[in-house]
Amino acid sequence: MKSKNFLTALLILVVMFAFTASVNAGGKVYKLGMSLAITGPTSDAGNPYAKGTEDYFKFVNDTKMLGEDTIDCTIRDDQYKTDVTKRNFEEYLDNGIVMYLNYSTGSTLGLKRDFEEEEIAVLPASYHAGNLDGSNYIFLPIASYSDQLVNLAEYVAKHHKGAKAKVALFVHPSAFGRGPVSDVEKAVAAGLNIELIEVVEHGKDLDNTAMLKRLMSKNVQYVISQTIQSPVATMIKDSQRLGLTASSFGEAGKLTFMGAHYTGGNDLIALAGDAAENYFWITAFNITSVPGEGTTKQLALAKKYGRDQKAADSHNYAAGIMVAQVTTEAIKRTKAAGLEINKANLYNTLNKMNGANAYNPYTTTGPVNYSKTDRMGVDLLQIYSVQGGVFKAVGKPLESEYMKKIK
Amino acid sequence: MSYFFQIVISGIVVGSIYALAALGLVLVYKSSRVANFAHGQIIAAGAFITYYLTVSLGVPIFFSFIASMIITFFLAMSVEKIFLRRLIGEPIISVIMVTIGLGSILDGLIYLTPFGSENFSFPHFLPQAPLSLGGVSISWTQLVGIIITFILIGGLSWFFKKSTIGISMRAVSDDQFGSMSVGISVPKVFGLAWALAGLSAAAAGCIIGNITGLNFDTLHSFGIIVFPVIILGGLDSILGAVVAGIIIGLIQQFSSGYLDGNWGLSGTGEVMPYIILVVVLFFKPHGLFGIHEIERV
Amino acid sequence: MSANLWLATGNFFTTYKQEQRTFLTSLDRSVFTFFLVLLFGWPLVFELSNKYMLVVDNVLIAIVAVMGLNLVTGFAGLISIGHAAFVGIGAYTIASFCQTIGESHIIITHFWPVLIVFSGIVGAVFGAIVGLPALRLKHLYLAIATLSFQMIFEWTIQFMTFFNQGQTIYVGRVFWFTGKVGRSDHYLFWYFIILTIVILLGFGIRNLLKTRYGRCLVAVRDNDRAADAMGMNPGLTKVYAFALAGFFAGVAGALHAYVYRGVGFESFTLHESIGYLAMAIVGGLGTLNGSFWGPVAIKFLDLQVETLAEIAGQYMPSSMNLATALKPFTFGLVIVLFLMFEPRGIANWWRIIKSYTKLWPFRY
Repeated sequence: MKSKNFLTALLILVVMFAFTASVNAGGKVYKLGMSLAITGPTSDAGNPYAKGTEDYFKFVNDTKMLGEDTIDCTIRDDQYKTDVTKRNFEEYLDNGIVMYLNYSTGSTLGLKRDFEEEEIAVLPASYHAGNLDGSNYIFLPIASYSDQLVNLAEYVAKHHKGAKAKVALFVHPSAFGRGPVSDVEKAVAAGLNIELIEVVEHGKDLDNTAMLKRLMSKNVQYVISQTIQSPVATMIKDSQRLGLTASSFGEAGKLTFMGAHYTGGNDLIALAGDAAENYFWITAFNITSVPGEGTTKQLALAKKYGRDQKAADSHNYAAGIMVAQVTTEAIKRTKAAGLEINKANLYNTLNKMNGANAYNPYTTTGPVNYSKTDRMGVDLLQIYSVQGGVFKAVGKPLESEYMKKIK
Repeated sequence: MSYFFQIVISGIVVGSIYALAALGLVLVYKSSRVANFAHGQIIAAGAFITYYLTVSLGVPIFFSFIASMIITFFLAMSVEKIFLRRLIGEPIISVIMVTIGLGSILDGLIYLTPFGSENFSFPHFLPQAPLSLGGVSISWTQLVGIIITFILIGGLSWFFKKSTIGISMRAVSDDQFGSMSVGISVPKVFGLAWALAGLSAAAAGCIIGNITGLNFDTLHSFGIIVFPVIILGGLDSILGAVVAGIIIGLIQQFSSGYLDGNWGLSGTGEVMPYIILVVVLFFKPHGLFGIHEIERV
Repeated sequence: MSANLWLATGNFFTTYKQEQRTFLTSLDRSVFTFFLVLLFGWPLVFELSNKYMLVVDNVLIAIVAVMGLNLVTGFAGLISIGHAAFVGIGAYTIASFCQTIGESHIIITHFWPVLIVFSGIVGAVFGAIVGLPALRLKHLYLAIATLSFQMIFEWTIQFMTFFNQGQTIYVGRVFWFTGKVGRSDHYLFWYFIILTIVILLGFGIRNLLKTRYGRCLVAVRDNDRAADAMGMNPGLTKVYAFALAGFFAGVAGALHAYVYRGVGFESFTLHESIGYLAMAIVGGLGTLNGSFWGPVAIKFLDLQVETLAEIAGQYMPSSMNLATALKPFTFGLVIVLFLMFEPRGIANWWRIIKSYTKLWPFRY
C-alpha cells in the first residue's frame, strides 16, 4: 500500500509539472518590475497607480497585443522606504527584467547610480527634474514639476490683471516639494513677470489660519502648490472658512489656489468638498470629468477588470496606465524592428521616440517625446479648474516657454 | 494685533484637541501604568467608524458620534482583556512593545478597508460661514470641537472626583494591593480605564476628522504628538494633560506663525514641542503637574 | 588535575582567571571555530543572488545596531525609542565627509575602516548627550526624551541644506587591497567586513559583562537606589550605557551608508526605531544571542510576508489591499504573540534547547 501512495504522489507531481511546462509553450515572456507605495505614505496615489499598470498589462496579455508573447510585470509594495525599493530592484535584476518602473522621488534619486551601472531604462512616477541630472537612463513620463509650476506661473503672468502678480509657493517639506522652487526662481530671474513673495514649507498643520493671514498681509494673490492632496485640502478649507478664496481667477483681495500634478484630482475634491471650487490644476493626463476618446477607454479598462469607480476616475490610474503603455510600445517597436528584447535595445527604442515617431497614448494630453537630450515625455501640459464640483479644461495644452529659456 | 489673537485662538483650538487625545493616554497610565502607543490607531478607528456609520448607513451624525464612542469603548475594553491582562506585572518595556504591536495590527486591519489608503471627507452638518469676533475668526467645526472637548474633560474629571467607580480607579492607580484588600476589582478597573480611553480617542478622532478630512496618515500621527503632551503635563494628571495640550498647541501655532519664513526656517511647528519638552524636563523631571514619586530601596 | 578539558563535568576552577575564560571547555571553543569557518566559507561555495546578499548584509547591520540597543535597554534597563537616530548619525557622519570633501575622495574610499570607527565615536558622543537627561529622568519620561531626540534629528536632517535636506547623499565605492570593489562583488565584500565587525563587537559585549562596568549596568537596572548605596554612580553608568549604544549604532550607520552607497533620511525614521526595539525584544532582551536572533527573525519575516502576499495576490487579484495589509499586521502579531507567550524572546528557546542537548539523554 505504501508504494501505491508513493506512485500516486509521483504521478500527480509529473502531471503538475507537465501542466506548468505547457502553459508557457510558444511565446516569450518579457519580465518587468515595479516597486511603489501601495500602503504607507502617499499610498492614496500609489494604490490606483499600481492598479492602472496592472490592468493595462493584463489587457496587453489578454488581447494579445504582442502576438504570442506576454508581459510579466511583478508589482511590489515598498511602503515608500528606499531600503525596500533597493531590495526589490535587486531581486528584479536577478529575475532578469528589461525595464523598470519606479515610484518615489527619494528612491529614484537613491538608485540613480544603480540605474546607470545596470544600464536599464527606468520610468518613475516622480516627475522631479533632479532625476534627470547625471542620469542617462531615467525617463520622466510627463514634464517635470518645475515645468508644471513655471507653466502655471506663466499662466498667472499672462492672465493677471494689473501690476506684477504676487505669488507664494506652498511646498512639501522634502526633495519632492523643494525641487522646483529653484527653477521657478530662475524663471523669474530670466524675466517671468511675477513676484515671488514667499515659499512656505508646510508641516502636519491642523490649522493654516496663521499662514493664510500672513500671506494676505503681504498682498499675495496666487498660491501655487507642489505637494500632495491633504495639505492642500486643509489649506483651501481654511481659506474658505476665512472667506479668502477667490471665486474667479485673480479676483482682487483674495487668494487663487493652483497646484501641480500630485495636488489635484478627484481626491482633492473628495477631501475639500466645495472649498475646492475654482482650484487650478495642471497635469498632462486626460481626466474622466472631461470626456473624450481616451477617458472612455480608461473607464472601459477599469470596468473590464472590476475596479471601483473611485479608482477608475483617478488621474493616478491614468498615470499607471500611461507608463504601462509607453513600456508596451517600446517593446512592440523593438520587436517590429526585429531586435531582441533586452535592456540596451529597449533603451535605444525609447531614445528614438520623437518627431514622426512620437507616441500618442490615449491617457495623455500630448505626445510622448524622448531623445538623447530630452528625457521628459509629454511636454504639453493641460490646465484644469474646478467648476461646479468637477474639473473642467481651461484652454489648450501648452508647453512652458521659460523652462526652455533657463535650460 | 489681531494676527496675534488669531494665533492664540488657533493654538487653543488645536491644543484642546491634543488635550482630548492625550486624555485617554493619561487615563490608561493613571490606572495601570501602561503607556499606550496604539492610541493614534484608535483615534483613526474612531473617526472611520463614525464616517462609516454616517455615510454608508445614513445615521445622523450626532448619533453616529455617540455610537462610535460606544463601539470604541467596547473595542478598547476587549483589547485590554485579551492582550494586556496577561502582561500585568511584566516589565514596562514589554507592555510598551505590546501596545506598539497592537498598533501595528490595527494598522494592518485598517489597511484592509478602503480607509487605509484613500481620503474621505465628512459631510457638512454645521454652517460654513465662520464666526468672527473682533477680527479673529473661528469656524463652527472648531468651536463645536472645543465645546465637546471641554464637556468630556469636565465630565471625566467629575467622574473621577465624585463617583464611586472613579474613586476606585484613583485608588487602584495609587496602590494596587491596597485596593484589592479593600475589595476593588483591579482587572475591572483596568478594563474600564482602557474603555474610557477608547471613548475619548473616538471623540478626538471625529473632531479631527471633521476639521482636516480623513486621511489615515494624518490621523495616526496624532499617536506620536500626544506623547510630548502627556509628558509635559505629567503622566498621571488630567489637569496636566489639558494644560499641556493647550501649551503645545500654542507653541506650534506661534512657531509656525512667527518663526517660519524668517531666517530660512520652516516646519518649526513640528519640532518645537519636542525641544520645549526636553528643556522643561530638565527643570521638572516629572512634567509640570506630575507627582514626584519617592522611590525606596 | 581531574578537570576534563572537553566536557563540563564539574567545577574544577582554582583561579579566577580560569573562571573568566571566554570558552569554558575546549569543546565549546572548537565548535565555535568550526562555526566561524562555516560563516566565512559558505559564500565561496554557494552563490547567493544579489537580493539575498543584500538582505543578509542588512540583517548583519541590524545585528550591530541591536547589540547596542540591547546594551542600553536590556542590560541597563533604559528604554530608548530613538535608536534609529543614532544609526542615522553614524550614516550622516559619512555623508558629511562626502559633502565636504567629495564622495570619491581618497579618505572615504581607502581609509574607510578609520571612518567607520570615527562614525562610531561620533555616535557615542551624541549618545552621551542624549544620555544626559538620564541623570534626572526615569522610566517613561526618559523614553519620551529619547523619542524627542528622534524627532529633532529627523527635523534637523530635513531642514539643513548641508544634509541635502534629507535627499540622498551619494557615497562612492570603496577600494580594497585587490583594487576597487565593483558592483558584482559589492555585497559579498561587505558581508565579510560586517561579519568580522559583528564577531569583534560580540566578543566585546561578552567580555564587557564580566567587567566591573558590566556588573554596574545590571545592578543599576535592577535597583538603582541600592546601586547608589553600594558606591556605584548610577547617573554616570547610564550615560556610559547610552554612549556605548551610540557607538554601536554609529558603526552600524556607517556600514549602512557604505553598503547602500547613499544616505537618505527615510532609513532612519521613528518606524525604524520601533523596528529595532521589536528586534531586541523578539530576540530576547538582555542577552547577547538575542541580538542575533531578533534581526534575523524580523527581517526574514518581512521577506516571507512579501512572498505570501504575492501568492495571495494571485488568488485575489483585485484586492491588492489584502496582500499589502499583511505586512504591518504580521509584524504586530508576531510581537504581540511573542510577548504574550514567550516574553523572554527567542534567546529563551535557545537556552532551553542548549540545556536540553547538554544533558541529553538525561532529563536533569
